[in-house]
Amino acid sequence: MPSIDREKWIERLSREISAAWAIAKKDMRIYYLKPNIIVSGILFPLFMFLAFAIGKNAPPGTLIPGLIAITLLFSASSIEPVSIPIERRVKTFDRLLSAPISLHSLVFGESLSGFLYSLGIACLPLVIGVILFSTSIVHIPILVIAMALTAFCFATLGTLFAAYPTENVGEVMSMLNTLRLPLIFISGVFIPISAMPQIGQEIALFSPLTYGNDMIVYAYTGVSLYSPLLDIFVLVIFIMIFQFVANRLYKKFNE
Amino acid sequence: MDAIEVSHIIKQFGPLTALNDISFSVGIGETFGFLGPNGAGKTTTIRILTGISSPTSGTATIFGHDIEHDTIAARQSMGIVSENSNVYDDLTAWQNMMFSAELYHVGRNEREKKAAELLTLFGLYARRNDIAHGFSKGMKRRLTLAMGLVNSPRLLFLDEPTSGLDVQSNLIIRDVVTDLIRDGVTVFLTTHNIEEANVMCDRVAIINKGHIAAIDAPERLKKTIQSVQSIEFSFDHSSTDQLDELRHFPMVNDARKAGDKFKLYTEDPSVVIDAVMSYARSHNLKVISITTLGPSLEDVFIRLTGLQRSGGTVHAID
Repeated sequence: MPSIDREKWIERLSREISAAWAIAKKDMRIYYLKPNIIVSGILFPLFMFLAFAIGKNAPPGTLIPGLIAITLLFSASSIEPVSIPIERRVKTFDRLLSAPISLHSLVFGESLSGFLYSLGIACLPLVIGVILFSTSIVHIPILVIAMALTAFCFATLGTLFAAYPTENVGEVMSMLNTLRLPLIFISGVFIPISAMPQIGQEIALFSPLTYGNDMIVYAYTGVSLYSPLLDIFVLVIFIMIFQFVANRLYKKFNE
Repeated sequence: MDAIEVSHIIKQFGPLTALNDISFSVGIGETFGFLGPNGAGKTTTIRILTGISSPTSGTATIFGHDIEHDTIAARQSMGIVSENSNVYDDLTAWQNMMFSAELYHVGRNEREKKAAELLTLFGLYARRNDIAHGFSKGMKRRLTLAMGLVNSPRLLFLDEPTSGLDVQSNLIIRDVVTDLIRDGVTVFLTTHNIEEANVMCDRVAIINKGHIAAIDAPERLKKTIQSVQSIEFSFDHSSTDQLDELRHFPMVNDARKAGDKFKLYTEDPSVVIDAVMSYARSHNLKVISITTLGPSLEDVFIRLTGLQRSGGTVHAID
C-alpha cells in the first residue's frame, strides 16, 4: 500500500474510532442511570438467576459463572434498545445518521456503550464470587476474553434489534425478550448442554450464549464442552454477522 | 463546481413517487430557498442531500463529492440544523457542543475555542453548564444552530430556522445567518415563512408533488405573475360583513381580511381603488390607509402549488 494511502487510511480509521467513542461516551452520560436500563440490565438478570438458583442444591460459588453469563446477556443488550428509540422520538438520532461517519462506526459506537456497561455490571458477580464464596478462577485470561467477547456480541445484538424503526422502547424490548429469554434455557446456563435432549443440543449450537457461557465455565473449572478457541472463533463470527446485519437494517430502515 | 448539484433525482417509496426527476444546482456562497407545501418532497430532498437516504435514481453532489458514494467527504463540509431542536436534553450546552464537534472530527483545542465562541454569539455562554432540558424553545433552537456551526461548515442546511421563536431568538438567529451569508457560507433554507425566503434568498425553488415548479430569484418569480396585484386598505370601522361585499366588487379575484386591513386581489388596481372609495362614501366610512401592492412571493407560491386562500390562511386544494 503506498504510504500516502496508508496515512489517509489511518487518519480515516482514527476519525471513525474517535466518533464511535464520542457516541459511546454520550450514551454513558445519558442512559446508564435511566430506570428502565437499571431494571432491564441489572435487576432482571439478578431476579431471573435467583428464581432458578434458589432451591438448587449446589454451592453458591458454582453458580457464579452462570450469573456472569446471563448478566452479560441482559446488561449488554439493554442500552441501545432503550436509547435508540428514544433518540428517534426526539430526533437526535438524525444527528448521528447525518454525521460524517460510516454506518459501521455508528453501530460500533452504539454497541460500545452497551459493552462497557455490561463489563462493569458483570464484574459485580465476579467480585462477589471471589470475596464471599472464595470462588477460584483457573484461567483469568480466558475469563477476560470470554467476558469481553460475550459482552460485545450481545451489545451488538441489542443495537441490531434497535434498528427496528420505532420510537417505542417497549416494542424493541418485547422483540428482544422473545429471543433473550429462550437463550438462557438453551445455552447451558441452568441445564448443562450435555444433559439436554438431542434437539436441545442442536438448537444450542445457534446460541451465542452457549459459547460465551462455555468459555466462562472453562475459565472457572478448566472443563468445557468445546475448545475455548472454537468458542472464541464462533463468538467473533456472531459479532461480525450481527454488525453486518445491523448495518444493513439501519441503511434499509432509514430510506 | 457548485456547492450542490442535483441531477435527475427520482425517489420512490413503493408505488409512491416522492421526487420525480428533480434537478437544480446551488452556487457556492448562494442562499437558496426551498419552498413547498407539506408532503411536496422537501424533507425527502434534504434527506438525500445529507446522505441519510439514497435516491432511487439520479445523482447529487456536495462540493463535487457524490453524496451516495463519497458520503463522508460530502458531509464533512456541511452543517445541518433540523426543524426540530434536536439537542440532547440530558447533556449541558457545553457537552452538546463537544459531542457535535467530536462527531465532525474537530480537534480538541479548536472545538473548545469554537464552542466558547458560538455559545457567546448565541447568548448561551453563561448557561453552558446547565443541562438543555431546562432551556426555553428559543434557547434550544439557538443551541441547535450553534451545534450545526461547530465544524465551520461551507454549506449550511437550515430547516425552519425561526419558526415559532421568541423575538430575541429570532433576531439573534437572523443576524448570525446574515453574517454567515456575508462570510460566503452557502445556505440551503427550507421554510414555511415565505417572507423570510423572499428577504434572505438569492434564489428560491418551489417544489410541489415531487416536481420543481419553478426556480428563480424572488423578484423574477414575482414578475411572472404581474397579473396578481392587490390593494390593501383599512376603514375607520371595519367588520367581517364588509369582506363579503368587497369580494363582489368588479375585477376583484379574491379578498382577505387581516387584522384591521382588507386586501383585494385584482388585475386592475385603478378600477378597484375607485370602487373602494365609492363604497367608503356610500357607507359613511373613512379610508385610513390605502396601498397598491405588487405580487408577493407568497402569491407566486400559491399560484404554482395550486393552493388556495381562505380568509387569512392558505389551504391545499388537492
